Amino acid sequence: MKIAIILISLGILGFYLMDIFFGIGFGVQHFSNGVKDLYLSNSKDILKVSNVVTSIVVNFRGFDTLGEVTVLFLASTALGGILYKKRHHVGERSVLFPASRIVMSGAKLLFPSIVLLGAYVFIHGHLSPGGGFQGGTIIATGFLLMLLTYRNYSVSHNRLVYFESLAGILFISIGLVGYFSKGSFLENVLPVGNMNDLFSGGVIGIIYIAVGFKVAAELTGIIYTVLHEKD
Amino acid sequence: MVGSPVLFVAIPLLAAFIIPLTGMIWKNSVRIIPGLVLAFMFALSISLMGYVSEHGTIVEVIAGWKPPIGINLVFSPFTGFLTMLMTFLGFMVWLYSYKFKRNVDFEPSMKYFILLMLLVTGSVGIVLTGDIFNMFVFIEIVSISGYGLTSFYTRRDSAEAAFKFLFMGAIASTFLLIAIMIIYSQLGTLNIADIAEKMPLMDNKLKVLSLVFFILAIGVEAEIFPLNGWAPDVYTQAPGPIGAAFAGIVVKAAIYASVRLVYTMYDFGGAFDLFIIIGLITFIVAETTALRQDRLKRMLAYSSIGQMGLVMIAFGIGTKEGVYAALFLMFNHAIIKSLLFFSGSYLVFNKKNKYIKHVNGMGKYLPITSVLFTIGSFAIIGLPPFSGFWSKLAVLTAAADSKMVILIAVILIISILEAVYYLRVVNRIYFFDKKEKTETQKPSINALIAMICLGIIVLVIGFYPDLISGYLDRAATDLMDKGNYIKEVLTINK
Repeated sequence: MKIAIILISLGILGFYLMDIFFGIGFGVQHFSNGVKDLYLSNSKDILKVSNVVTSIVVNFRGFDTLGEVTVLFLASTALGGILYKKRHHVGERSVLFPASRIVMSGAKLLFPSIVLLGAYVFIHGHLSPGGGFQGGTIIATGFLLMLLTYRNYSVSHNRLVYFESLAGILFISIGLVGYFSKGSFLENVLPVGNMNDLFSGGVIGIIYIAVGFKVAAELTGIIYTVLHEKD
Repeated sequence: MVGSPVLFVAIPLLAAFIIPLTGMIWKNSVRIIPGLVLAFMFALSISLMGYVSEHGTIVEVIAGWKPPIGINLVFSPFTGFLTMLMTFLGFMVWLYSYKFKRNVDFEPSMKYFILLMLLVTGSVGIVLTGDIFNMFVFIEIVSISGYGLTSFYTRRDSAEAAFKFLFMGAIASTFLLIAIMIIYSQLGTLNIADIAEKMPLMDNKLKVLSLVFFILAIGVEAEIFPLNGWAPDVYTQAPGPIGAAFAGIVVKAAIYASVRLVYTMYDFGGAFDLFIIIGLITFIVAETTALRQDRLKRMLAYSSIGQMGLVMIAFGIGTKEGVYAALFLMFNHAIIKSLLFFSGSYLVFNKKNKYIKHVNGMGKYLPITSVLFTIGSFAIIGLPPFSGFWSKLAVLTAAADSKMVILIAVILIISILEAVYYLRVVNRIYFFDKKEKTETQKPSINALIAMICLGIIVLVIGFYPDLISGYLDRAATDLMDKGNYIKEVLTINK
């Protein structure tokens, strides 16, 4: 009886929600003076960035990206704080069985190219699809592959902290340079160059490289912390 | 003007990234730097408040793009007042927990201070931002540092509390995104002032639906009645000072968010009635539940939820007097509840389940802490020489001015319950004998300073409420004047 009442009320709720959602009309022109046209024209004419998503994420709404980077930083910090006591010492990790020789050689072969692909994705964030978050994640998967394959593979914890902190400091320093020289946090201070060049878009490329390093270091740190947890 | 609002976010984040590096060189820096940063934020908020009272609201653009395109921060008398309150409390929480885990482990204490600093930063960001998606990002920052701090003791119960909080917080974030998506799909903008101006263009059905999603999402952080299942567990299991940080800082930011939505963005009559109804239910349920608790921190948690219900009621009255009363209540609750959490943690220190009966006879062993707890209890009930009296009086007069007689009756009856359960604890402190042999913990000197500071504020505001009423009056006027907010933000020329 209880279940029936719940199902019926959920059904009614669901029907009206669907009704309203279909009324939103995605892809239909609702508004003429929204911000989307300004984003398009400004990133083409003023910032000279061909990937509009990147110019929105890093420049128009760069403050949000700073917040998202901080969210990731917080997640890895909180995880490190909670799992602290349960960490193994380096080199005594419990892999259930060693990987086969094929996997070991394959992983060694793939690892550099995975890192290279990640670096390519975040360096070309303002030209092609992808960016700092995506590139950083790709690099972290390379480390995950190595950690899963080799029993004694270890990443220096201090080195991860250096990368993470320095990349974060670089991001905020760029913002503060804009604040002190132009009067607005994260404002572009470098020449924008020509569209579709590697050196275009001013600070956007540099910020995305910092984000890439930071995301890669943080995700690797999270994987490392979790893999090294004792039972 | 010495600084500008963006430093409230930029400096703490810079410090958070620097701390892991300095911690490798000088271990004490992980405790000192967050304190310096929080003190800087408090000083900055005072200096900006001085500027605002002379020159009017500061609107700051980020990345050099004017409001509808870029993100902006608004430092008005209203947001500035809340920023000042939060940064002050953040500093007090830091002072109280300065010696936290001092001799145990280096790494967890470093993470604790980073998370605490970013919890305050996120709350200040929620208050200052003028953009709903940016508000979402700051709510995420607050929630994630909250999850980390809740499970900090890595016990079974604290993990359960953190998981509960995580679960509700994750669903709330999804709802918040849906609400933002509905608004963007209809109006094509994310700026709060721009949305407020274009709101009449939106279809009524979608308007109500997005408001419902917003209230559901923000209600989780604001501890509104059916959504506050996480709160008592979190307050009980988190480290003592974090309870104060939640009650004084995080919940205030969430209440701000819902008020900004209803007063500035939506602004229709039904929403105010919704506030009164939600507030009343929260107030009645929480205060009656608090009466039945046998653990001290759970009782304080339910009392905190109840006070938030009262704040919602005061905002729901919808007049300038109501807003004034609500802000006064928020200020008082932040100060008094932090004092209660600080002193209460020492009264039940070292006890296994932290039952109320453990405070028996503590008046002899911990005289100063007991007096401070008593001051806090009397103040939160609303006894005359303390600051809580003025805020409760302000709520009642605001309700009387709007001819809501039944509301006054309900508030007064529930206040009796509040008096019963607080005086019960005070009675146990002074007139019962201590039975168990467990050792009492003397408060460390920095914790004592933090508690005495808060106690003095409670007494001073009790005798001279005029010290603060000027700020409150300007803040209330600022919130009520929606047209001015829109004008200030949209006509900025950078």
